[in-house]
Amino acid sequence: MDEWKPNPAVKPHKKRSWYLAWKYKLMNQRALRKLCQTGAVLFLLVTVIVNIKLILDTRRAAYEEEEESAQDYDDEMLNVEVPRHPVNNKKVLDVEVYSSRSKVYVAVDGTTVLEDEAREQGRGIHVIVLNQATGHVMAKRVFDTYSPHEDEAMVLFLNMVARGRILIFTIKDEGSFHLKETAKNVLKSLGSQVAPFLSWRDMWTFVGKKGGEVYGEKHAKSPALSTWGDPVLLKTEVHLTSVEDAECHWPDTELNRRRKRFCSKVEGYGSVCSCKDPTPIEFNPDPLKDNQVFDVPVAVIAGNRPNYLYRMLRSLLSAQGVNPQMITVFIDGYYEEPMDVVELFGLSGIQHTPISIKNARVSQHYKASLTATFNLFPDAKFAVVLEEDLDISVDFFSFLSQSIHLLEEDESLYCISAWNDQGYEHTAEDPSLLYRVETMPGLGWVLRKSLYKDELEPKWPTPEKLWDWDMWMRMPEQRKGRECIIPDISRSYHFGIVGLNMNGYFHEAYFKKHKFNTVPNVQLKNVESLRKDNYETEIHRLLGEAEVLDHSKNPCEDSFVPDTEGRVYVMFIRMEQEADFTTWTQLAKCLHIWDLDVRGNHKGLWRLFRKKNHFLVVGVPASPYSSKKPSSVTPIFMEPPAKEEGAVAVPAVAAAEQT
Amino acid sequence: MQKINRNVILALLSLTSLVFLLFQVCYYKFYLSQKNGAAFSKVRGSQSGQDSTRWHVVRKFLGLISSHNIPVYLIDPLILGLVDKDIEQIRSSPDGPSPECKYFCAPRDFTTFALLEKTWKHEVGLFRTAEKMGFQWLKIINKDPRLDGMDDLSGMEIPLHYIFKLASHAIHLVVFYERSGNFLWHGPLRLKQHMDRKFVPFRKLHFGRYPGAYEKPELLLVSIDDLKVQIPKNPSRFLEEVSHSRFLECRYREARAFFQLYSDDASLDAVEFRKKAKSLLHLAALTLNNLGVKFWLSSGTCLGWYRQCNIIPYSKDVDLGIFIRDYKADIIPAFQKAGLPLKHKFGKVEDSLELSFQGEDDVKLDIFFFYEEDDHIWNGGTQAKSGKKFKYLFPKFTLCWTEFVELKVHVPCETLQYVEANYGPEWKVPVKTWDWKSSPFNVQDNGVWPTDEWDNVIQIY
Repeated sequence: MDEWKPNPAVKPHKKRSWYLAWKYKLMNQRALRKLCQTGAVLFLLVTVIVNIKLILDTRRAAYEEEEESAQDYDDEMLNVEVPRHPVNNKKVLDVEVYSSRSKVYVAVDGTTVLEDEAREQGRGIHVIVLNQATGHVMAKRVFDTYSPHEDEAMVLFLNMVARGRILIFTIKDEGSFHLKETAKNVLKSLGSQVAPFLSWRDMWTFVGKKGGEVYGEKHAKSPALSTWGDPVLLKTEVHLTSVEDAECHWPDTELNRRRKRFCSKVEGYGSVCSCKDPTPIEFNPDPLKDNQVFDVPVAVIAGNRPNYLYRMLRSLLSAQGVNPQMITVFIDGYYEEPMDVVELFGLSGIQHTPISIKNARVSQHYKASLTATFNLFPDAKFAVVLEEDLDISVDFFSFLSQSIHLLEEDESLYCISAWNDQGYEHTAEDPSLLYRVETMPGLGWVLRKSLYKDELEPKWPTPEKLWDWDMWMRMPEQRKGRECIIPDISRSYHFGIVGLNMNGYFHEAYFKKHKFNTVPNVQLKNVESLRKDNYETEIHRLLGEAEVLDHSKNPCEDSFVPDTEGRVYVMFIRMEQEADFTTWTQLAKCLHIWDLDVRGNHKGLWRLFRKKNHFLVVGVPASPYSSKKPSSVTPIFMEPPAKEEGAVAVPAVAAAEQT
Repeated sequence: MQKINRNVILALLSLTSLVFLLFQVCYYKFYLSQKNGAAFSKVRGSQSGQDSTRWHVVRKFLGLISSHNIPVYLIDPLILGLVDKDIEQIRSSPDGPSPECKYFCAPRDFTTFALLEKTWKHEVGLFRTAEKMGFQWLKIINKDPRLDGMDDLSGMEIPLHYIFKLASHAIHLVVFYERSGNFLWHGPLRLKQHMDRKFVPFRKLHFGRYPGAYEKPELLLVSIDDLKVQIPKNPSRFLEEVSHSRFLECRYREARAFFQLYSDDASLDAVEFRKKAKSLLHLAALTLNNLGVKFWLSSGTCLGWYRQCNIIPYSKDVDLGIFIRDYKADIIPAFQKAGLPLKHKFGKVEDSLELSFQGEDDVKLDIFFFYEEDDHIWNGGTQAKSGKKFKYLFPKFTLCWTEFVELKVHVPCETLQYVEANYGPEWKVPVKTWDWKSSPFNVQDNGVWPTDEWDNVIQIY
């Protein structure tokens, strides 16, 4: 405020001469002069007073405001801005890459971005992708090319990486045994001279730009089959390009801004980051008519498998009737990349500090996620629970919309699940058919709030109990005889092959051949018949019309079921009491369906399809439907083969997987 | 020569001051537009200009909001106060043109609107359009309290307040969130360090000093001062709510620390008791709310909320407090109708009234009536077999809202003093054996009921 203090010396002086001359002409008379003088003095006084008042006012107001604005409204927490790392303007990166039998590491400008010296882990080719403008790590992968098919995954990955990115390769232990020609050619096309000749237990490092120059390559041959090549250390320099060159020039929209943020951070998501014609990140599927689940929150349970999450969210957001505002992704741990994926799709994500270990960690994550979901959507009566390794059927919400009223009205229901444990390619047929089952399949299911709040949440297993949440939910103390509704053809598909209890073999055997509905807008058949009492009527009707199969034949053989279509058949197996699943397990085994524990049963009855015929299996005499057995028929008994050592452990592990 | 000189000087001075004055007027105008300072309106009135500015800013804001399909409603206490006076007329003529600018031109610094978070899609486009229209805006975000109660979840920070400023007027947009317990919540307005403290005179805001809890309002679309705007259907009730809206979050962090020290009882009995106590509390709240009787969590239930954000599993009953001035004779029949028979009634309306209702199984609902004195508040107790009277003293308190077992309920705002008065400085340590006659920190003997009154003041069913 100092700048407006009076400074009489400046302007008026210049004006003096003409002004005075004019004034003198006018005021020759004394009286007039006196009047003028008095007037001037008065005017002066008034001005001074007004000025002083003004100064005081402004001062006071400014002071008050300063006081006022803050005080009560200050954030209590000291939000000291963390000084950002000075932007690295260096144009050259020093890269060090080390390859040896037991250890690999990669350092960029002295910062270790990869270090793996764990025993019996991380075998194969490690790949790191750097942003060519910033030098940030955009992706880290390891492909165990000692094992089959891993080289294919590597090729897939390398093809997805955008041109211009910097690629760093290094081998730990062994990386050539199942490295096929195709993969070697891809490496060669990246500029590697050694790759085509890589062999057993060679050590190898390579740094190059995709579609551009090679920054360095080193190789150490293994002298003999039983020994490894000498460790190699590659030191090289990488020249950075400008940020503009490293980015695509998409039109400036809100969506593309999200895309840009994502694509400058991570790699390996294919065409979403392609400069020309990138794949959409907004899907706008058709809305559902009369959508009963539009306001039902969707909780996506995720860990650190961002590529899975990406695939999962794409399918979820493409499903008809989806409401993105109701979706929350719960990430177990403070991982950046899954969060980047969530933000790419404009969804909300919540991170969860891991509690406990292994199965208990998953279990605690589930609890936190479910509680948070009902806190965030206090109006909701249900929540849809999904996992990051599921594909979601296009009619997933349509399926729920048609069936959810049952969960609301029928107290004898435990959940609605999109997954049929026994719904394989060769055993599921009818997308409009629903079942009631005594097991809880999970894998895309609906939970009733009252069930969670009143029963499950208060006694959820504590972290020190290393329990699987789903096994716990299946226990009779929790389930209390209630059943779940499932479709014949699953509305979700479990594609995860990396997981806590999962591996490639297991996935191939039990999940790959699962049937998945791809037909939109399926009208479900006779939904009311799924109510508790109606369902019994329905089953009795079915059994009444079913033809009894020839029990002298081997049920495992294809010829057991006649070559017909659209008929209903029934067979009877021996089941001494409610928990006797000996014959069922053997039957399930030979039918190549889920046999690791009992799934999909309803009062000793299983329903599936064989050769496009509805196929009912009744356990006699434990099942109440045993009365339908003609007295001439002897229930089939199948004996388990003599157990081999080690086979016992499998079911426990496998059962745990169905999460 | 002298005279001429004097004239020259005088003329010179007047000229200077004239220039000076002009400069000041300019500066003053500039200052006004910057600070929307009503503080100066007394110095130089440009009242009419100011008035229409407010109206124009509100109109522009409503245009902005409707172009993005965002449903906001007016919650400005000052304007709603004016509207409330003419509510009948406004209701009856929803479309009539108004002859003068009566409401939106009223002198004030802000106009406050509410936004239901649920109905908004968080489009970024809104702010771009706002900028194009000349608005400056400020967003205040903070932690999501709905996740606060949970172990180690970190969600994204949520927007709590927006301020849109144009010329000398500002729009305060308060974001309301739905909370468990079927009510609306708005957050406190807290400035982070890097924020512009002088963006607007924050202190004059009507909302944001504390978080607040509100019922979900019924809305009414009206036309006031030729602007179509949604207002709460019953402005006077809303204004009444505003004055008692302060909300206290449970002390989740302390509760976690408590459970680390004394692990939670997860036995089946505890789970069962909590479930029953919760449903009893829900039933009691429903009954009392229907009667319009204000109540708060007292004794053990209050301690449970304050110390562990949950029901204390071994507390055996649910305790509520009611000011005796709010006592209604209908309370007992209302509870009986709700399926809670009267178990005992001690004292009388004039002295030491206490009601007990029998809930499901062994869970009991105790209602203590509180008597206000000049410098303290007290409630009474009676021993049935001896007719002995007890008195429990509390420092004066006011009531705040909180969320407890999915219910919006009152607790004393000065909870620490309340709990300390009742349980002493060692309230943080769980005590499982409790005698209501001797254990409380604030219990006093209060004589004996005269024997002839016993039939009235000691009723056991």
